[in-house]
Amino acid sequence: MSDSNADTQKGSSDFEKRIFQRKGFTFFGLGLQDVIRYFFGGNASLAIIILILICFFLAKEAAMFFPDHHRGLKAYRSAGQEFVDYIGQEIEQHTRIYSSANIAYFAEVNRTSLEEDAILRAQRAVLANVESLTARSWKELERGLDNLEDAQEDLDDLKESEGALDASALSKLTKDIAQLEAKIVTVRAKLKKEVTVVLGSEKAWDLGGGGIGISSGARAKVLDAVLFEAFPDSKEDHPFIVETKAASRAKKGLEAEKLAGFKDTLKALQSAVRPMKDLHSDLKKIALESRKEINSLETAPARRDAWLAGAESTDDPAEKARMLARAGEVVIAAPDLSALNAPIYSSVDEHRTLLATLQAEVERLHKDLPDGAETESGRKNLKKADHYYGEFVTTVRENRDKIQGWRHDKSLGLMASVGAFLMGKDWVTNSSWHDFYGLLPLFTGSFLISIIALVVAVPFAVSAAVYVNQLANRREQTFIKPAIEFIGAIPSVVLGFFGILVFGETLRMVSQLEYLQWIPGFPMAERLTILNAGLLLAFMAVPTIFTLTEDALNNVPRALAENSLAMGATKLQTVFRVIVPTAISGIIAAVLLGFGRIIGETMVVLLVAGNKIKIPDFTEGLGVIAQPAHTMTGIIAQELGEVDNGSLHWRALFMVGVILFVISLGVNFTAQQILKKLQKI
Amino acid sequence: MKTTMSKNRITNTDIPEENRVISSHAGGNTAETIIGIDDVNFAYNKGTDVLKDVSLDINRGEVTAFIGPSGCGKSTLLRCLNRMNDLILTASITKGSINILGTDIYDPKVDPIELRKHVGMVFQKYNPFPKSIYENVAFGLRIQGIKKASILDEVVERSLTYAGLWDEVKDRLHSSGLGLSGGQQQRLCIARTIAVEPKIILMDEPCSALDPLSTAIIEDLITRLKNEFTIVIVTHNMQQATRVSDRTAYFYLGELIEVGPTTTIFNNPTEKRTEDYISGRFG
Ligand SMILES: Nc1ncnc2c1ncn2[C@@H]1O[C@H](COP(=O)(O)OP(=O)(O)OP(=O)(O)O)[C@@H](O)[C@H]1O
Ligand SMILES: [Mg+2]
Repeated sequence: MSDSNADTQKGSSDFEKRIFQRKGFTFFGLGLQDVIRYFFGGNASLAIIILILICFFLAKEAAMFFPDHHRGLKAYRSAGQEFVDYIGQEIEQHTRIYSSANIAYFAEVNRTSLEEDAILRAQRAVLANVESLTARSWKELERGLDNLEDAQEDLDDLKESEGALDASALSKLTKDIAQLEAKIVTVRAKLKKEVTVVLGSEKAWDLGGGGIGISSGARAKVLDAVLFEAFPDSKEDHPFIVETKAASRAKKGLEAEKLAGFKDTLKALQSAVRPMKDLHSDLKKIALESRKEINSLETAPARRDAWLAGAESTDDPAEKARMLARAGEVVIAAPDLSALNAPIYSSVDEHRTLLATLQAEVERLHKDLPDGAETESGRKNLKKADHYYGEFVTTVRENRDKIQGWRHDKSLGLMASVGAFLMGKDWVTNSSWHDFYGLLPLFTGSFLISIIALVVAVPFAVSAAVYVNQLANRREQTFIKPAIEFIGAIPSVVLGFFGILVFGETLRMVSQLEYLQWIPGFPMAERLTILNAGLLLAFMAVPTIFTLTEDALNNVPRALAENSLAMGATKLQTVFRVIVPTAISGIIAAVLLGFGRIIGETMVVLLVAGNKIKIPDFTEGLGVIAQPAHTMTGIIAQELGEVDNGSLHWRALFMVGVILFVISLGVNFTAQQILKKLQKI
Repeated sequence: MKTTMSKNRITNTDIPEENRVISSHAGGNTAETIIGIDDVNFAYNKGTDVLKDVSLDINRGEVTAFIGPSGCGKSTLLRCLNRMNDLILTASITKGSINILGTDIYDPKVDPIELRKHVGMVFQKYNPFPKSIYENVAFGLRIQGIKKASILDEVVERSLTYAGLWDEVKDRLHSSGLGLSGGQQQRLCIARTIAVEPKIILMDEPCSALDPLSTAIIEDLITRLKNEFTIVIVTHNMQQATRVSDRTAYFYLGELIEVGPTTTIFNNPTEKRTEDYISGRFG
């Protein structure tokens, strides 16, 4: 084309001819600019393609979950397990009431003898400590005593033996015995010295965490008692201990007398449940058999094919015949479910009468529950018992129709499977009974941990950002900002490690402090708890929230601050009335992105949250934070490695992943919307 | 016009140094001095004075205009008057003093926050807070701790009326101030400033981002305002200076060249440099 141009435009110079031509390097007719452009464009589309593939893969695996899950639920119903679990539920509710009331009872009975019990516990603990600290010498003493016994037996044998007395052997033995006796005396003396020394050290008095301290007077007596029990190796208790035991017993007796009626009710309740438990375990065995037959039907064709294939491939006629016979044995016919469930149907009436007795006892206990209690634990557990009573009543009421109208062949919609997943209260896997895949325990764990993390991280990160951006001087800025951003560089596994080894124990110790008892959940019994995980996650979320909040504050036009100051506002008024409100949507977006970071975090929660798959006990109120929990991310990380590809369990984990994905997506989307709004201002 | 102006600039820089004159306090009439600037030097960074030996009295109830080529220090001097320059850490007055209402405002005992409540400022780029119109005007009172709705309502209405904005916004007081037009936003900023009833209002090129009609409205507003406030206005618009101001001060390279009644400065300046600058404009 340029040639023809050249022909027609003879007059123009070479330069003019080329002025509009593409210059420089070309590649398949593309200029350098185009190549770079397509390279970058290609990378961007690759990211999008991968994202689409991930979504597709997740959706495919997860979609397969519900049909499989539905089949499992159907088997659960057909085998009568569903029915058995109704009864199990009632028993469990009963047990909760009983044990709360029981704990309350003992808390009350023991309340006046706390001091004596502490002394007795201390004496046992100190004795054990002393014995373990001087174990070597005790062994030596024992060995000496054994040897002495052996020697004496030898001597007796020698004396009783017939024939002439071997004078030299006799004198040697006597000498040995004398030596051994002398040795024992020295070992005893040494031991006594050692024990006295050990008793003077703090190590011997380490009574373990959470023990009630004892007075210094009692301490001296305990010391006496320990020495007394150690020397001589007395089988009897020191008089002080005998006295203390008696006092404790007497005081307990006095309290128990006051609550005797209550105790009787408790006992009656305990025996009322026994026949119900028997019925439950009988039915459980039957249901389990039925379930096995149902499961076996599912695998039957595969098993038969395996035998047939084996017979096909072997050359040995005997072996072949055996395998064919086994193949013939495989039952493929569906089990007669009506027959299998007959015992269950016939137990309905028995259950009704048993339940009536149980209900009557529960009612009686509820009426007999003392109005108040003297101890904190007593009050708390009475309240719990009352709460569980309410749950028991509801459960019984709800179960009545379910049990009466229960049919093993009642149809089960696909939505039931969705409901059982989203609303299921149990996540039980590898169980010999039935695997439950309920999201709630994991969801509540994730939720509680995230809430704690947010409640702690947001004020901390936002105020740090406001300070650094608005109030700090240059020097502080250059120091604080990188320091906080550095937190983000700490690998989460390292934080988890720290949480297990240092933070958890520190937190537990701190929770014992007298003046911190107003914090819900304190004192804490465990190291790995929702609180621990939440606090560590808060720490992890701080850099995200801090940086984004700082950006949002930076985006506020400087002129606004100047305007405010020119109006006579102070620096603080300017910050809180103008700058922060202007940046508020950016701050909200920062918080949401921080939340996304928290809910998706895996390593820390896996290591620190305690991994207990159970909906936390909300009767504790805000104290739930002192309990362990499991999370959606944690369960995937923990269980995905040990399940078979394509199994129901595997799919269930995928489904949990999808839920996480949806939550994160929602949070990110909301954050984006808010940011978009912010840019419009 | 542009070419004439730049020619003029060149001419201006050619003026020999010795021609500098410290302004006589022209105008010297009976008017009461409200701001007394006495031999002030100012530096953003130590060693380089941006203002040099500036002495100037500003009278109560008058509009004083600061004119001069870009970079001559008009805004700097204006911001010295309400101590906005305090925000720049390295900046300080290196010589002289500024008295407002008889108080040396750079005295350590003076609280700049209190000062700014009495010396309000309107900026070149209007910047309402991203709040409602009502809250924008009430801002100054709120930060002084006034919460009573009746007082706030009254002040908001009065200030908006004063700024000639009331009729335009009275039906949407609680919608965002950012939804107004540029001219309306600038008037909103003026209403916000006068709501706290300062003694003095400093205006730094308040109309330079506005169209002629909005400019006219604001100029009209300024002439009305001077009954109650003392106004200092920086402007690059010579006509504006003649229209609104009573006195004019001409700055050049950080020095005050000449100050006097506006009519005198524009019609009969003593200094050649002033004349050059002004005639460049009128070209
Ligand atoms: N924050 C600052 N730091 C350092 N120097 C500054 C600062 N602000 C202004 N200056 C300098 O001070 C001098 C005067 O500036 P000023 O803003 O007062 O000029 P102006 O007369 O208002 O000009 P314009 O008409 O363009 O607004 C200029 O040389 C400018 O470069
Ligand atoms: Mg300026």
